[in-house]
Amino acid sequence: MGVTLDVIQRYPWLPSLKTYYADLASLNPGDFIEEIFSKYEDGVVEERILEIFNASFDNLEQISTSHEDDLGVYVYLITKILLFALGDRMITNRVANLYSKVNYSKLSQENVFNLYYICHDLGIDLLYNEDAWKFGVTIIKQQTQVKKTHFKLYYIDYLKLASSIKDEYRKLVNVPLEDGYVYILNKNLARLLQEYVRNKFLSENAPPEEEKSSMVKELLKNEEFERIYTTLKKTWEVKKEHFDYALKVDFETDKNISQLFPPCVKEILSKAQEGQNLAHTERLFIVWFLLSLEYPVDAVVDIFSTMPDFDREKTAYQVEFAKRKEYTPYKCETLKSYSLCRAKEYKDEICLEGYYSKTQDEQKKISHPLSYIKVKNYREQRKQRQEHYTKKKPEENQIEKTKLDHKINGKMSPQKEDG
Amino acid sequence: MSNKQFLKRLFQAYYEERQDSIPAVDLMEHREFGFIPWEKPIMIRHMSFSNAQTFRDYLVKNSPMHVYSSGSLYMLPNIPDMSKKQYQGCDLIIDIDVDHFPTPCKVDHDKWYCKECEKTGKGMPPHKCPKCGGIKFDGLSWICSECLDAAKTEIKKLLYDFLIPDFGIQKDELHLAFSGHRGYHLKVQNEKIRSLTSEERREIVDYVSGHNLSYEALGLRERGNTIFGLLKDNIGWSHKIVTKIEYLLITYDNDQLRDVFTEFDLSTTVIDSLLKSKNYFLNVLSKNHNVWTMEGFGLANWKKFLDGIVHLISAEIDEPVTIDIHRLIRYPGSLHGKSGFKVQELTLDELDAFTPLNVNEPERDPIVFQSQNIQKIKISAIEVPPTTLKDETYGPYKKGEVVELPNHVAVFLLCKGVAQTV
Repeated sequence: MGVTLDVIQRYPWLPSLKTYYADLASLNPGDFIEEIFSKYEDGVVEERILEIFNASFDNLEQISTSHEDDLGVYVYLITKILLFALGDRMITNRVANLYSKVNYSKLSQENVFNLYYICHDLGIDLLYNEDAWKFGVTIIKQQTQVKKTHFKLYYIDYLKLASSIKDEYRKLVNVPLEDGYVYILNKNLARLLQEYVRNKFLSENAPPEEEKSSMVKELLKNEEFERIYTTLKKTWEVKKEHFDYALKVDFETDKNISQLFPPCVKEILSKAQEGQNLAHTERLFIVWFLLSLEYPVDAVVDIFSTMPDFDREKTAYQVEFAKRKEYTPYKCETLKSYSLCRAKEYKDEICLEGYYSKTQDEQKKISHPLSYIKVKNYREQRKQRQEHYTKKKPEENQIEKTKLDHKINGKMSPQKEDG
Repeated sequence: MSNKQFLKRLFQAYYEERQDSIPAVDLMEHREFGFIPWEKPIMIRHMSFSNAQTFRDYLVKNSPMHVYSSGSLYMLPNIPDMSKKQYQGCDLIIDIDVDHFPTPCKVDHDKWYCKECEKTGKGMPPHKCPKCGGIKFDGLSWICSECLDAAKTEIKKLLYDFLIPDFGIQKDELHLAFSGHRGYHLKVQNEKIRSLTSEERREIVDYVSGHNLSYEALGLRERGNTIFGLLKDNIGWSHKIVTKIEYLLITYDNDQLRDVFTEFDLSTTVIDSLLKSKNYFLNVLSKNHNVWTMEGFGLANWKKFLDGIVHLISAEIDEPVTIDIHRLIRYPGSLHGKSGFKVQELTLDELDAFTPLNVNEPERDPIVFQSQNIQKIKISAIEVPPTTLKDETYGPYKKGEVVELPNHVAVFLLCKGVAQTV
């Protein structure tokens, strides 16, 4: 026994789609579109697709109507083809976010058998026991409640599904692990599958540009497809204006400071630029980091305006709160433990090799992203001094350095930093 | 003849005579090999061997100071550009090195010298020189049966408290070896484990070392004036922590407990309060209650206390080794150039009785140069602590002394770089 047709129609991202819709699996995208649009001629395909995209553009987390039928499956596939043709990371992120949320709400209401077969279909090593396993207790108001579940998930599959969540409650060290399996409640399993759905949209590999443009040209020969494509492009152009200014993270007093950012910060900002959903720890870190550099609250809030779940009012409240609390951004060790360190990927010399400390006469490692800025600023200024020795007055450099030092030192535990 | 020439000849004789006992690691042709020659302190990497015999021939011909192979598998292991090697996956590698954590015996045999003011001290070097505040040290780190026992305790904790019960690792997936110097290496070979990324491996490191443990996630919280603690019935770290607390409170007397809790950096007043409430606390834990309200204990002190307990439970592993998927590790059966000892493979059943410096069965003995033939050597280090090999103690020695020692002891001192051939 495996997943049934109704489960596939509910979750068309499952691998068994190919078995139930074998006739479609052999078609190329162009022929598939042709067939579907000729099969449904009353505009219903267009209507359903636009509903999905418009909900995504508006940051909605649900679609008003749920379609679990053949057409639902076709719409899912055409959506993916459209995302490919549009080739816009931000749109893909928004649709991925909507789909993952919609799927989470369905999965969390799914019965245990379907959940088991969904995981099985995905090749996930999940154990099921009819008599729920006991894995702990909670005591609330002196009442002991036994914690039970029907599911245990192999730790390697757990790590692969949970790795993008970056939430301390989901770290392996904080979950019940025994004999290679993590005891997992249905809703937590649904949350992990939600991430699977999101990543399924994001991890599609695009072909080389030349190949892609000829494929897109071929797809656009279909009149209905071309019409939807153009409508979406136009709608998105208008929507995009609201946050086009969002990623200008410089602010007036320090024009070039973003060039000094360490790889961990650059990575988060680039994800934000693409409209990728940021993990909780990434959000906290970027807020604390930018506030430490005295970025205005509005500038920090704007960064999040590209997020699929952006709510300006809520974000502004949270950023204001963080500013009042004067939180210190994570140090490098913590960033590593949250898998946010990107030193290796960016092959960053300062992160990997550290810097030479004159006072301590030795090579020192960077232990905090704010120290990174200081060292990089020192090096940049040294480089500029060497290059434009006669063009710039030395006191100007000193003023800039003192200003930056003042900001950074005010936010870090005392340590010698002398570049 | 220089030390290095002398030792290279000895290593060559070993590889020639014992080449058949050098094992072939699993999927050898897909692994990268690395060597450090006697002549230059550089790592020669990106080498590969299609079979065990060509590798053995290389060892006989070149007899390097150190021999390594990768935990990773590549389609093209000999390509220098890492991105072009076609990475296929990596075994889980865990290294326990006694050099990375304190043991009581270090005060007897390790020494540090401040590079700034020449102050000296015993044991592991401090973070800062107590005299001048300098942070650069030279020193001498030695090995003895006591510190190698400490390394064995850590590897046993890792195996029997974490990898086997929690991760469900099967015994036949575990490949254990004495590193030939200060510790043990463990390789876990399993198809699924090979697919883990560095970030996912960090999660395993965090688990066995107790890092990033969230006490709040485990149940520690304050509501009003009441503090709620952890429960033994909760599988995972909660169970480990409560079991350890119970064990300490039942097994140790108050003086011993005071010593342990002082190490946790708790104040005398807080320790007094805890000892006074010992029976109450034991009662709470054994009945699986979670009200941990106790005089002098706010959340901060409880966290400090739990940090101390976690430190006792966790295994002291060399974290970067496990996270790095391109790391090379010592090859089993090869010789360690800083001791002259063999990297000795062990089964789990052999571990308990294994005492690296005094093994009687030749096939499991890391001291391969044991002989009563006498070598004359001259001590070149300022001082050399006593060395106990094969149940015999040699030294201490002072700089300039010329001593006649059994072959294996002389080889050890030469490899440690504290003596010269005469």
